Amino acid sequence: MKKLINIFLPILIIFFIIIISCKKTDSNVSQDSEEIFKAFYSSEPIPSDIIWLTNDTDLEFASPEAKKGGTLNSFILSFPNTFRVVGPDSNNSLRGLILDNQLSLLEMHPNSENLIPSLATHWAFDKNKRTMYFKLDKNAKWSDGVSVTGHDYAYTIEFMRSKHIVAPWYNDYYTNFIEKVIVYDDYTISISLNKPLPELYLYLTLSPTPRHFYKQLNEEFITKYNWSIVPNTGPYQITKFNKGKFIIFERKKDWWAKDLKYFKNRFNADRVIFKVIKDNNIAWEYFKKGSIDVFGLTIPDYWYDKTKVKEFEYGYINKIWFFNDTPQSAMGMYLNQDKEIFKDKNVRYAFAHAMNVEKVIKTVLRDDYFRLENGYVGYGKYSNNKIRARRFDLDKVDNYMKKSGWNRGDDGIWIKNGLRFSVDVVYSQEEHTKRLVVLKEEAKKAGVELNLDRLDPATSYKKILEKKHDVAWMGWSTSSRPRFWEHYHSDNAHKPQTNNVTNNDDKELDILIDQYRNSIDENERIKLSLILQEKIYNIGDFVPTFMIPYVREAYWRWIKLPKKFGTKVTDNLFDPFNTSYGGLFWIDENIKKETLDALKSGIKFEPVTIVDETYKMDIIK
Amino acid sequence: MIRINPLTLNKIKRFKSIKRGYYSFIIFFIIILFTLFAELFINNRALIVYYNKKIYFPVYNKMYPGKVFGLDYDYETNYRELKNNFSNSSSDNWVLLPIVPFNSYENDLKENLYPPYPPSLKDKHFVGTDKAGRDILARLVYGFRLALLFSFTLLIINYMIGISIGCIMGYFGGVFDIVFQRIIEIWSNVPFLYVVIIISSIVTPNIMLLILIMVFFQWIGMTWVMRTITYKEKERDYVLAARSLGASSSRIIFRHIIPNTISIIITYAPFSISSGIITLTSLDYLGFGLKPPSPSWGELLQQGWSSLQSYWIAGSVISAMILVLTLVTFIGEAVREAFDPKLFTTYE
Repeated sequence: MKKLINIFLPILIIFFIIIISCKKTDSNVSQDSEEIFKAFYSSEPIPSDIIWLTNDTDLEFASPEAKKGGTLNSFILSFPNTFRVVGPDSNNSLRGLILDNQLSLLEMHPNSENLIPSLATHWAFDKNKRTMYFKLDKNAKWSDGVSVTGHDYAYTIEFMRSKHIVAPWYNDYYTNFIEKVIVYDDYTISISLNKPLPELYLYLTLSPTPRHFYKQLNEEFITKYNWSIVPNTGPYQITKFNKGKFIIFERKKDWWAKDLKYFKNRFNADRVIFKVIKDNNIAWEYFKKGSIDVFGLTIPDYWYDKTKVKEFEYGYINKIWFFNDTPQSAMGMYLNQDKEIFKDKNVRYAFAHAMNVEKVIKTVLRDDYFRLENGYVGYGKYSNNKIRARRFDLDKVDNYMKKSGWNRGDDGIWIKNGLRFSVDVVYSQEEHTKRLVVLKEEAKKAGVELNLDRLDPATSYKKILEKKHDVAWMGWSTSSRPRFWEHYHSDNAHKPQTNNVTNNDDKELDILIDQYRNSIDENERIKLSLILQEKIYNIGDFVPTFMIPYVREAYWRWIKLPKKFGTKVTDNLFDPFNTSYGGLFWIDENIKKETLDALKSGIKFEPVTIVDETYKMDIIK
Repeated sequence: MIRINPLTLNKIKRFKSIKRGYYSFIIFFIIILFTLFAELFINNRALIVYYNKKIYFPVYNKMYPGKVFGLDYDYETNYRELKNNFSNSSSDNWVLLPIVPFNSYENDLKENLYPPYPPSLKDKHFVGTDKAGRDILARLVYGFRLALLFSFTLLIINYMIGISIGCIMGYFGGVFDIVFQRIIEIWSNVPFLYVVIIISSIVTPNIMLLILIMVFFQWIGMTWVMRTITYKEKERDYVLAARSLGASSSRIIFRHIIPNTISIIITYAPFSISSGIITLTSLDYLGFGLKPPSPSWGELLQQGWSSLQSYWIAGSVISAMILVLTLVTFIGEAVREAFDPKLFTTYE
């Protein structure tokens, strides 16, 4: 008997544990999905006092001459580890290409910057300043033929909040920033943020997620969808791929949006092939042979020297230098105001006047870069274009330094009470050394000593964020509107791990920054933005250096571009998919044949180098 | 007056008779002498300026601002311009410039032409400029001086620590010997390059710090050799004699044993110098060496590699390395041969 109990008891216990745990998970799942269900679907009618907006008056930007057909051959440097666009390893080179074929509710017109329809035909703003309403296009279809409905947007929220996608940032963003999607009927929805913000459309134009494809998510998501081709709403879909070798996108012949005003005559190539070529130099050789159709030439070496070959001189390959007008990274020197030497405004001004950035541009950078005039260039109405960066000027350096009681020492460097004007410049890219040595030698003339302190990227970033630098040589990434709080508010000064790397601490400025952040009136924000930039210029803790407001590319002559080549925001003229400005080019098969014949027989064409300044910023004209 | 031991004299005679090594030594010595006074040959400061009946020697003096010579600026005089000014005007002022009128830092940049510039006699860039328009010859020479300073300091500190500890281990033996043997064994397994990379990613090393890091790992090399020799030497009769005369241990080690092992130490020295130069060059090449813009062979090599079409960059630094390392190796071989004990002692 005892023996029997000894055997049975453990088995019984295990059995119970299994039953209990099963029950527990079951009830969890049903509870969760019920909650989500309640949150997403509403039986209340849509408010009647909203005004529906649409846009069919802005100009089209595609060329009516465009012909469909042909293949665009391009390359990627590495094959992605997954086709998923969320979760581990998803941040790869292909992600952008896949996402570009996933339309969102609205687009911004690349030239006028007004909203234009995409998956939604109409939109409206709620009075609460945190909700937008959308009427969906009833013709919109997934690539597998299923209609796109409001439920697919509700599913985006469910999908992005799911723990199974292993993407904590998205989990958080779609929970704490985006509040909810309400589905009124199959083709009417509203989306809300958790708090009122100006220019809601920057945040609320979500993309749908195909609910019929994913259904209920579970912990297998990460592995199950690694190589699945998810239904999309855009012009192309992956049709073939060979891991490590190539990926082929094919144009949907009966794409639902092909005749819409702002999509007409775009996305013309029948196929887009991305070969994996692991080295830029090898890709360049492929390009010269014609196995790749387009190649970026922004680097001066390529634009000037490497293009001195037969293919360019005989006119088989054309070059284009296209100026655009987009927000520019705030590249430059950030002076740490917590360091004794930079507490004095005159010294900061003098430092700026001691930097011969123009000489660096003229000599080392082959006059290809442009002087950045201020940290907020290219933000349209938000940019204060009256501001000019302080130029190299020895007299002004003299004036400012003498005003603060400094004198030149024996070695020509300014000195005051034993403190020499000698500062460390923290930077990380070896490529930048040759720019900095020129600045250093020129600064010596102005009596300023720069010590170059090159650290590896992680360490230099750490040093800067811990505010241990004298001068940080760096740039910030851009956003669609100027940001001031991160970089200049005293909330972020004198403490590590914030982006206020100049330790700017100015109560008057704080008030303006808070006003700017809290305002939901666009005009007021623009006005504040201009004032803030002027104030920041007067503080003088940032010496702007360079900007590159253009793209340069080479393309075989069978690739054709519209008369205006691109749009204001184009940063790749041959982008095949970009929903905002991409797919404007087309391929002329007759010219391709003619060119390939000419290549064989050695016939020459007129070499072509286009410089287009239509969208060149006023500030550099 | 230093009295030279007849045995040593013999060795020197023997060294002189090995022509390849001896001439290498002379050439190397001249090169060192030259680099010590490099400012007189390669410099942007003039050797002599004769201005308004006064003579100036800017090379080893403080900085003269342009105003001193009637120019309109407060920063250091550009003597090349000054020379042009003087020769264009009819005054009897003159400037004597060094052969290469550039220092190793300044960027000699031109309008509408982009560096690196090829070698040119007219511009006085005898082996061209690097990618930032700096004279390569100047950077080679000053870089060599830095590398030599580095190697010699490294050698002296290494040998001081290595020889002392090695001798003490060998002479006293016992616990001290065993403990240090284990320490050294563990020490020598620390991967040197990684430590340098880690340290130089946290701070940008200056030359002293780099030497200290290197010493930290390289003092070990000499200890093993010295320990073994001391073991052998301390059993020899002269040590016994000294001890019976009442000499202290330190006197025996430093006055008797070390002088008797000097020949072995010397044969190691040239090779340590060349390895010092190579180490500094390779660290600079990898970007973990001296901080920019210090003139350095490794940095030049890196530039040359990334722009092979500018053959003069890689070409000049590789030739310089081959020359110096060959000379040092020849010297080292000759020293080793000259100090070979088999030639002067006979064992019975």
